[in-house]
Amino acid sequence: MTSPFLTRNTIADKDSLALLQLRRDQIVPTILRDHDDENQGYWEGKVTNTRFGSFPHSTLIGQPWGSQIVASKVDTGSRGRTQSAKRKAEELDAEATTTGAEEEKKKPSLRAPVSAESGFLHILAPTPEAWTISLPHRTQVVYTPDYSYILHRLRARPGSTVIEAGAGSGSFTHASARAVFNGYPGTEEATKRRRLGKVCSFEFHEQRAAKVQKELRDHGLDGIVEATHRDVYEDGFLLGDPKTGKSPKANAIFLDLPAPWLALKHLTRNPPPGQESALDPESPAYLCTFSPCLEQAERTIRTMRKLSWLNISMVEVAQRRLDVKRERIGLDTEGVRGATLFPKTVEEAVAKLRSDEQRAKLIRDNRLTKDQPDYQPIAKETPFYKEKTDVPIYAQGRLTHRSEPDLRTHTSYLVFAILPRAWSEEDEQKCRDQWPSAKVVRADNEPKTSKKQMKRQAAMERAKLREEQKQSAERPQPDSGDKAEEEEIKEEETKQESTEA
Amino acid sequence: MHSYIRPGQYVAIRLQSDQLRLIQIVPDTIVNLGRFGSFTANQIIGRPFYFTFEILDACDEAGHQLRVVSATELHAETLLAGEGDGEGDDVETGENGVPMRTNREIVDENSSQKLTLQEIEELKREAGGAGKDIVAKLLESHSAIDQKTAFSLAKYTLRKRKKYLKRFTVLPLDVGLLANYLIEERDAQRSMELRDEHIGLIGCWGNVHHSGNIEVGEGMKPHGRYAIVDETGGLVVAAMAERMGILYPHDADEEPTEEQDVPAHDVPAHDAAESQHTNAPPKPRRIRPQPMSATTNTITVIHPYSQPNLSLLKFFGYDTNNPDESHPLHTHLKSISWMQLADPNSDPLYANEPPIIPAEELAELKQSKRSAYYHKRNRWARVKAVVDEGRAGNFDGLIVSTLLEPASVLRTMVPLLAGSAPVVVYSPTVESLVELADMYSTARRTAFINKKRELELQSSEGEAVDLSSLHEEFVVDPTILLPPTLQTSRVRPWQVLPGRTHPLMTGRGGAEGYLFHGIRVLPTTQNIQAAGNVRKRRKVETTSTPISDRDVEMTS
Repeated sequence: MTSPFLTRNTIADKDSLALLQLRRDQIVPTILRDHDDENQGYWEGKVTNTRFGSFPHSTLIGQPWGSQIVASKVDTGSRGRTQSAKRKAEELDAEATTTGAEEEKKKPSLRAPVSAESGFLHILAPTPEAWTISLPHRTQVVYTPDYSYILHRLRARPGSTVIEAGAGSGSFTHASARAVFNGYPGTEEATKRRRLGKVCSFEFHEQRAAKVQKELRDHGLDGIVEATHRDVYEDGFLLGDPKTGKSPKANAIFLDLPAPWLALKHLTRNPPPGQESALDPESPAYLCTFSPCLEQAERTIRTMRKLSWLNISMVEVAQRRLDVKRERIGLDTEGVRGATLFPKTVEEAVAKLRSDEQRAKLIRDNRLTKDQPDYQPIAKETPFYKEKTDVPIYAQGRLTHRSEPDLRTHTSYLVFAILPRAWSEEDEQKCRDQWPSAKVVRADNEPKTSKKQMKRQAAMERAKLREEQKQSAERPQPDSGDKAEEEEIKEEETKQESTEA
Repeated sequence: MHSYIRPGQYVAIRLQSDQLRLIQIVPDTIVNLGRFGSFTANQIIGRPFYFTFEILDACDEAGHQLRVVSATELHAETLLAGEGDGEGDDVETGENGVPMRTNREIVDENSSQKLTLQEIEELKREAGGAGKDIVAKLLESHSAIDQKTAFSLAKYTLRKRKKYLKRFTVLPLDVGLLANYLIEERDAQRSMELRDEHIGLIGCWGNVHHSGNIEVGEGMKPHGRYAIVDETGGLVVAAMAERMGILYPHDADEEPTEEQDVPAHDVPAHDAAESQHTNAPPKPRRIRPQPMSATTNTITVIHPYSQPNLSLLKFFGYDTNNPDESHPLHTHLKSISWMQLADPNSDPLYANEPPIIPAEELAELKQSKRSAYYHKRNRWARVKAVVDEGRAGNFDGLIVSTLLEPASVLRTMVPLLAGSAPVVVYSPTVESLVELADMYSTARRTAFINKKRELELQSSEGEAVDLSSLHEEFVVDPTILLPPTLQTSRVRPWQVLPGRTHPLMTGRGGAEGYLFHGIRVLPTTQNIQAAGNVRKRRKVETTSTPISDRDVEMTS
């Protein structure tokens, strides 16, 4: 089975995960079904209700990813009162005696949805980022700024094997599965010796582990992620049996545990006799621990030093999002939403005061003539500073940016460390035999010539040759110019090969 | 995976002074580290990465001169002797909890070190022990050493060690390390001051990953096609290639030769003609992979000049001037100029198809002419295939780090993306991205939708709507990218030593670095159709537009 996270069709298929985006940080995950799998009792089949309207899945299935979908009129009120109980009872009866044919019969009775024009959403293909926004929280979530940096530092690349403990809510699980993915197991011929990327996820909370496993199956990631229910402090990281199991041969390890130092003893090059090391013997192991408190990080680092981890470093990631807004200030902004009615410049302030004074004077003078027969009230006039501009509203004002109102100022301390690959005396001796240290040749200081340069050179030589031929036209030529050219090309090729070799 | 140091590979060497050097490890040569000494390359070839070597004063009988410094030794030096296992608080305190040694007595002048500059210079020439002797001598002749607190002694010793110890560590050269090297040792502005945290974020928000091993089936499009605009000299391309598994040449060794349908490009004909007319013995001819021939898991670089600047790829074994045909980038990296994308017929390479010469005629040509003919035909076919493919669009993601005006890039590129494909724009400074975010503001989108609706109502039935005035007013179509988000990130490094844990005192300034990201969406036409009834239309506006308002609202 393929995963919509990794390889997907151009349209949203039924039985696949789809993420329904309502607004930036509001995404609803749902598995698209052409039948009412949760027994909601709607006439339209399975329906996802959001604050922006109801969306029957029949309006979502088959749409290209990224489409804007208009809400539908769905009768949400009456089903509980009238038919739902009835229907449920009917179905309970049916379940006992149902045959496939009867199920089939029920399907066409689904009503065609009527569009509501009350709202819309966008149907997005799943990505680990969107999933992280939408996932059901079980524990503290590792967010995108953290996991993107961690995976980059852990060198989790296509073909790597990553150990993750605890799986938690599964955001890191999904991101790391994408990072290491380079093919689904079982689809490749057995003879090919490419290593397929894999994530070995451990979770010690039984219920959460079960939920993660179900999620991974639903998302088609069960071939890439192997989720195990395990207390890694006690039982380590071997797959299957904790003592005699197979080694995952990990290149990278991410520990999101309350006490990472208790798990480190299971991540050494020299495991207790009879056990395999959980690390890949042929590559360096990259480790990251994720602890919110400084004390945890300090203790972890102390243990790392004892266990010969190198390049130990600790960082915290500070990220923020920026809000962009046009800020409009001026006396011409009366009635404009979000604008501040205030003079824009000193000139404007002066002009307003001056014109107010003039008008006040006008009114005073006018009032004196109130009793005279030719009295006329003052005509209303818009002051010059209130005159409308041609600039459309969306382009008025100054462009500003500021941090979003709620910041995540601290997520956790990230401790990174590296354990070089295993290296024995024999390995060293083999290397010394293969690469004798005493052998030194004078460095080839000549800069390597590129293909282009060589071609140019050859062309120049040809030109020179032709010149010479012209000059010595009387003398008989042993070779025609073309042959010489051919030879040059051959020479070029051999040169090329030798440099490549 | 970087399992051992390969001959001919570029590696990074970290010196005691924390300086980084990028060095190509050529067998049988000497690597010179300046004042930190020199060693023969053969002594590190085949060895694991991350080992710290010490250059000994004399070679052993086999000529070996390097000693691996163990992790315990390295850590002991960081923690410094006398601290045991580093448990607990380390400030030496007297009876009342008052620190026993303080800096109260210390005179602030440079006279404490009794060795003169000359003597130190002499020591440098003569002393052995890979610099350890010098450090010991220096400590010995420091007159106020016993007055120093443990911390300041540790700092002093560490500083001196950094200056004199002849040690180095070999690190694998990957994208993260190269980025750090460019920032610390080179002109950071040329790589747009791109840091690790942003490289990670670009890759994640861009959803860049390996496209897997499954066949492109019915209802699917070739997956893993990313468009990249990169003016960092190839750093972004390298970072994305790393995520896609096509950056390291030796990764390909382990990979099976991917079954790409190599587009015809006259190759079979070429082969047939060759074997017919050269009368050469029929030896198994290696089918040379055509450059840019892969169909999945590809990077398409769009560049302003006729050639892209991807010079940094040389550190990963791929020289764009002299490409190595076995390197995965040879087939998976495609390049198009903006002109080829916008107006391909102005490009002679694309527009002027070399005339086809019939086979009989070809047979009579000289070999050099014939190969020139095939060269031209293949090049034309390649350019045409790549340009047509690029213009057809349907890319799975767009990554931009450019000196161009971002809006002009997005104007051209966003329509070429498949639905739900992410867009990421990196910029070292915020201003251009703030402007870009404003191009997609809610107010602008509403104005765009209204204006478009007006134009459509004006035009008569069945006639194509003239939207040119709309595109004049709006640089980008604000309805096809959601939700425009602006983000920045920075890591803060800490020093963690027992009792001495704190954030590093100094760091690098410069550009903060910002990311703009969003997702290509396909707006429905339904709203517009429902606009027939005026009253109803108003209702649509008040109900549906505010929702889209909130969707991307930039205010709190």
